[in-house]
Amino acid sequence: MNENASGADRQQEAQLIARAREGDRVALRELVDLHKDRLFAFIWRMTRNHHDAEDICQEAFLKAFASLGTFSTKYRFSTWLFTIGYRVCLNGLRRKRNVTGELDVSALSLAGENGASQSLESEEAGQLKQKVWEAVDRLSIPQRAAVLLFYRHELSCQEIARVLEFPVATVKSHLHRGRGRLREMLESLNEEDLHQFRSLSG
Amino acid sequence: MRCEEARQLFDAYLDGELSKSLATELAAHRVRCPACRRALALLEVSGQIIASDREPVTLDEDFSGRLLACVEAPERRWPLRVRRTLFYAGPLAAAAVIALAFLGVFDRGNGAQPHEVAGHKETREVPVYVPGEESTGDSGVNSPDETAAAEYALEQWMKQAQQNSEAKRQSVESLHKALDLTIGQWLDILEEAKDASASEEHFPGADTPLEVDGNETDPIDIPVDPVD
Ligand SMILES: [Zn+2]
Repeated sequence: MNENASGADRQQEAQLIARAREGDRVALRELVDLHKDRLFAFIWRMTRNHHDAEDICQEAFLKAFASLGTFSTKYRFSTWLFTIGYRVCLNGLRRKRNVTGELDVSALSLAGENGASQSLESEEAGQLKQKVWEAVDRLSIPQRAAVLLFYRHELSCQEIARVLEFPVATVKSHLHRGRGRLREMLESLNEEDLHQFRSLSG
Repeated sequence: MRCEEARQLFDAYLDGELSKSLATELAAHRVRCPACRRALALLEVSGQIIASDREPVTLDEDFSGRLLACVEAPERRWPLRVRRTLFYAGPLAAAAVIALAFLGVFDRGNGAQPHEVAGHKETREVPVYVPGEESTGDSGVNSPDETAAAEYALEQWMKQAQQNSEAKRQSVESLHKALDLTIGQWLDILEEAKDASASEEHFPGADTPLEVDGNETDPIDIPVDPVD
């Protein structure tokens, strides 16, 4: 997922994949260690359930390894892995969503998880963060995925399109509508909160 | 620039796709318009917060180790174990596995709908195995009718598979494929098998893509576009 991955990085990745295909345990482990945290961060934000997210990550890696032979190193392994992970995740989320395609946010334990856990952060900034993440949780699945991949994982709309398997225009529409909904949900914030955070984050 | 025009530029601006001249126009409007300033600030602040997500949730420390153990010893994880069984033991083992699935052995209590087997497809709410999902109340115990339907489907399929060795091969192939997916999707396959058992030459599903919600394919078969 590194937008700035150099040619050398890509070459290194290709070598790693080649070894992994041979069943090289060290290479497989390296692939897991390189990608697990980013994949987990994404899936956890999508599912908001640690256990589910871990299982989904495991399944995604196993599926990826099982079909390493079909993977072309012309592509980024991470994009491919995210594509598989999102697919697996979608299967799980489909079970939980209601007819409008929303997660049942009432089932999430929002308090505490998104709270002001960083000690160096002001209460206001912590509350603002919490509000933003609560709003993210209320986005539709593709909106949330697009927003997370764009901001948190710094993917281009083209890369997001590959992961979500949508045309780029559809990705943009999800991203834009997601933003619009975030803004609506955050409208209740007062100017001071905003000012506070902006001065904190420089 | 009016507010309406300014707001139409927000997304392009936030996507980093606004031309310099339009960005300047937008900045000028922003300076003098409190409403747009606030709206844009909300959008920017959301993006910043999401981008700087450092929620201290992490995978278990031994995730990599456990994962590699699964790669090396698939029998530790039932889907892989089942897959191996199918692969080596052939259709009868597959049939047994499917039978167990019908009887709810693999149903984690998340409400697999066995009545789909009896041909009710008004909902496409395919039972999907959700790891760790809490029971939603439906037990995995099927009613006698449902079990009978399942057994009937199984019986038809076995009969058919035994009649034709080609069908056998395709059955294993298709089940192998199905096991990469979900229990719910197996149920669909068996439903098709039941429907088609009277007329078809082989186990349906062997040459048709498995679908959920119309057009889902297995993720591992998804081609990924070339990196630009
Ligand atoms: Zn304005």
